[in-house]
Amino acid sequence: MIHVEQLSKSFDDLRRGSIVALDSVSFDVQAGEIFGLLGPNGAGKTTCLRLLSTVLQPTGGSATVAGYDVITQPQDVRTHIGFMSCNTGIYDRMTAWEMVEYFGRLYDIEEDDLQQRLDRIFTTLQMQDIKDVLGSKMSTGMKQKVSIARTIVHDPPVLIFDEPTTGLDVLVARAVLKTIDALREEGKCIIFSTHIMREVEKLCDRVAVIYKGKILAIGSIPELEEQYHESDMEELFFSLIQQHEDQLAMKAQ
Amino acid sequence: MIQWKNIKLILLRELKDQMRDRRTLFMVAVLPLLLYPAMGIGMVQMTVLFSEQPRNVVVLGAKDLPEHPQLLEGDHFVSNWFRMPSDADKLRVITDIDPAETSEAAADVTQAAERKAILEQARKLEVVLKKHQELLNQWEQLEDQDDPEQEALLANKITETNERLSKLFAESQIQVLILIPKGLSQEIERVSEKLARHEKIDFDPADSLRPLILQNNADEKSMIAYRRVDEAMEAWEKEILRARLSRANLPESLPTPVNPDVIDLAQDEQLAANLWSKLFPALLIIMAATGAFYPAIDLGAGEKERGTMETLLISPAKRTEIVLGKFLTVMIFSVSTALLNLASMGFTGRHMVNLAGSGALSRIGDLSFPSLSALFWIVLLLIPLSALFSALCLSLATFARSSKEGQYYLTPLLMVTIGLTVFCLSPAVEINAFYSLMPVVGVALLLKGMLLSSVNAGILYVYAIPVLVTSVGYSLLALWWAIDQFQREDVLFREAERFEVGLWLKHLMRTKDALPSFAEAGFCFVIIMLLQFGVMNTMSQAIQLATEAERPLRMMQLLMIQQLAIIATPALMMGIMLTTSMRKTFRLYLPSLGFLGVGLALPFLLHPLSLELASSLDWFFPALPAGTVAVLQSMSDPTQPIWLILLAFAFAPAVCEELAFRGFILSGFGRRGRVWLAIILSSITFGAMHMIPQQVFNASLLGLVLGLVAVHSRSLLPGVIFHFIYNSLSVLRGRISEEWVPTKGLEHFVSMGPDGLRYSWPLLLICGVITIVLLRWVLLQSKTQTDQGAASEPSVSAALDRRLTDTK
Repeated sequence: MIHVEQLSKSFDDLRRGSIVALDSVSFDVQAGEIFGLLGPNGAGKTTCLRLLSTVLQPTGGSATVAGYDVITQPQDVRTHIGFMSCNTGIYDRMTAWEMVEYFGRLYDIEEDDLQQRLDRIFTTLQMQDIKDVLGSKMSTGMKQKVSIARTIVHDPPVLIFDEPTTGLDVLVARAVLKTIDALREEGKCIIFSTHIMREVEKLCDRVAVIYKGKILAIGSIPELEEQYHESDMEELFFSLIQQHEDQLAMKAQ
Repeated sequence: MIQWKNIKLILLRELKDQMRDRRTLFMVAVLPLLLYPAMGIGMVQMTVLFSEQPRNVVVLGAKDLPEHPQLLEGDHFVSNWFRMPSDADKLRVITDIDPAETSEAAADVTQAAERKAILEQARKLEVVLKKHQELLNQWEQLEDQDDPEQEALLANKITETNERLSKLFAESQIQVLILIPKGLSQEIERVSEKLARHEKIDFDPADSLRPLILQNNADEKSMIAYRRVDEAMEAWEKEILRARLSRANLPESLPTPVNPDVIDLAQDEQLAANLWSKLFPALLIIMAATGAFYPAIDLGAGEKERGTMETLLISPAKRTEIVLGKFLTVMIFSVSTALLNLASMGFTGRHMVNLAGSGALSRIGDLSFPSLSALFWIVLLLIPLSALFSALCLSLATFARSSKEGQYYLTPLLMVTIGLTVFCLSPAVEINAFYSLMPVVGVALLLKGMLLSSVNAGILYVYAIPVLVTSVGYSLLALWWAIDQFQREDVLFREAERFEVGLWLKHLMRTKDALPSFAEAGFCFVIIMLLQFGVMNTMSQAIQLATEAERPLRMMQLLMIQQLAIIATPALMMGIMLTTSMRKTFRLYLPSLGFLGVGLALPFLLHPLSLELASSLDWFFPALPAGTVAVLQSMSDPTQPIWLILLAFAFAPAVCEELAFRGFILSGFGRRGRVWLAIILSSITFGAMHMIPQQVFNASLLGLVLGLVAVHSRSLLPGVIFHFIYNSLSVLRGRISEEWVPTKGLEHFVSMGPDGLRYSWPLLLICGVITIVLLRWVLLQSKTQTDQGAASEPSVSAALDRRLTDTK
């Protein structure tokens, strides 16, 4: 459902000149699987996911999401994805219900259908008590729930989560991860970025380790552990990064 | 396809959101309703409490004033002499007549002391004044003798006393000093008596005894006091004359032999309309601008800051739909703000006039509202005006990195708006064909006209269409810019970074591309314009200083210097510093023969067309300034050698302007790939550089052709040839003697008009057709070149892609 081929993105920064944020990245994600994008800050995770959500345009390569090309059919892509990141906030002066309803309408959902869906989602996510609370008055956990509700209101086949547990406390983070897990059971195609090892271990079917815009390794956790002779995911991660740094140092000389 | 449904969804959400913001609601709705009445009441209170301090008028020699009619009464002028009797209380008269002699004794000890002090100051002044008069008399005597040394000495003394006089006067508490000469009343009586007896008066009484009045026009207090004194004395003088005439049995109307009867046709509604016509357009514009601004900031930069921008961007709504939804929101706020403020001001103004009661406004009486048709025009013109401001503000707000930065953009926007508004308020400024096409000015002037004379509005309807059409056009342009901002990643995802000039400059130098960037091209144009403004004064002075004979030569020298230093040099310098390939930037390639031919032929064809076009549009433009006319005349000056004139008027501009506008600037504007935009922008800047409206228009059109040729021929040369020939034709045309008569069949094509050679329509038709053929050929060339040229000329066509994208 997500097919990425040699996807690249470079920016022009005043201070640092031309920066390559993503360098020829390729991977596939199937329906009913959770694919993890693991990497430290600045690795290119957010850029990659923004490219998939058509908010940024790639400077090289291609990607198809839910069968639509991100460059030539961006609107169709956006209709079929649900995207959530720490930059997709909620409106301060809208209630939870209004917020999700507004986006539901933007997604062209029929009015009756929409109301039913809203009921269902609010019940599932246990949001009935915050239905009429304004965004500015919500706690972080509540805001996160509203964001999730907005993400799934139109029942998209593909879901993209960019570090969904950032800034959340243990309980809320757990609830979020459980929701994502449940969505996998429904057969959704999910890609999800993080730098927290535990999440990767618990949730992901397959993982791509990404560092400085490049994918260093890709595969399921058992596969990777066997391939790199590491029993601990964390150690695996750090050794991959170290290897890459060594290679870069050698090239510089 | 843009879906109205999405736009409506976004619009309604934004509106609801803004309405829930109590602060916004307060600023837009409540504040105007409260502010104007509060200001009105405040002003009324202040005027009530305001009392003018009486000013001191000292009269020395008061006993020599005629007794009938009486000028002074105690320590006032007699109130009859003033139009408004209460004005008499505003002047405190201190005379050198002992207060015990007057009917009103000084009641206060301090007052008496003050009077004494002021009289002292007056006497001192009198002494210096007498000295001054003496010196002036000496001067008059000296003028007959020829003694420069004495003259200089005396002049010094006179200046010295003058300064001392001013100083003393300024330091005193006297606002006006009147010195009555001894024997004035007797003299007046003598002349009146003589006149009454019809005796000959063979001397001019005015020469002998004249009161002296000292005042300082630069000091407001003195100026106002003197105005009142003048009013009183004039009335008093008239009365003396009247009495004199009546005594001599002469008609009273003798001093005013003509005495026309003036009838004022001003009606009350018209006076009211006058007030509205000044107030409303100004208020409308400023309120539409500020009303658009704050919501725009919130919807643009504010949304980015609060992190809800990305939420909207990942929804299926297209960028254009998002921009339109936000734009409509801002526009609704702009219109509402303007209308609410206008209504509130209207009601307050009307109420205040009722309160004010007396004074000039009292004639208005019950201040009527503008007529229904005027109100209709206000609302109608408000719409494109609001649209323009809303789109501009939204663009700026999206461009800004943060709300704070966005607010900094308000000041320049407001200043420009206020500047334009003030210009429009000036009574001499009226709507005409030229102004009707300008962005904010057209609307303001049309509205002013409409409000002034809703009865006579017929003529103004002529301008309604151009004003509306251009206003809508400008708003669409601004809206297009706003949509463009929303498509740019670097604008939407720009974080508030520190802008460091040093780093930026290093970056500029470090990352040089083959071609200049869009911004660099724009900057080059700005530099050229600034340099032009900078040297304008110096150049006109240099021309003034030259003698009549030298003048034409000097003008041409200056023209060439201007071309080289102001136009070519910045472009070349920037090319060297900021690009890696001067050749590509300035298109220093040889074109194909075909294009050379086009460059040679087109000027001959376009010259008649553009000349006739310019003459037919002459009525539209304001008259040429005197300086330009002089320069143009020097073009056809027969005393100057032709090679020099061609050098200055044809060769220098051809090379320099092409280097700048079809070289650096066109390359820069075309960097992002939109060729047509580059051509249009380069021709607009080229036109604007000429500054004089006729030339701006002409040059812009030619710039389009030149740009087209430059782009498709990939060379500067055809353009230079074109430019040279075209300018030369203008020069040579001026040199054709006025007496020349076309013969041998030429009279079908040309004729001699009052301004020189004119071209008839058969010629124009032929020229037009051939031009179209040539231009079509030019456009087609590019297609065949990119098909064939890719293989045969890799260095040229690969490097200079037709879309002018950069070659990193």
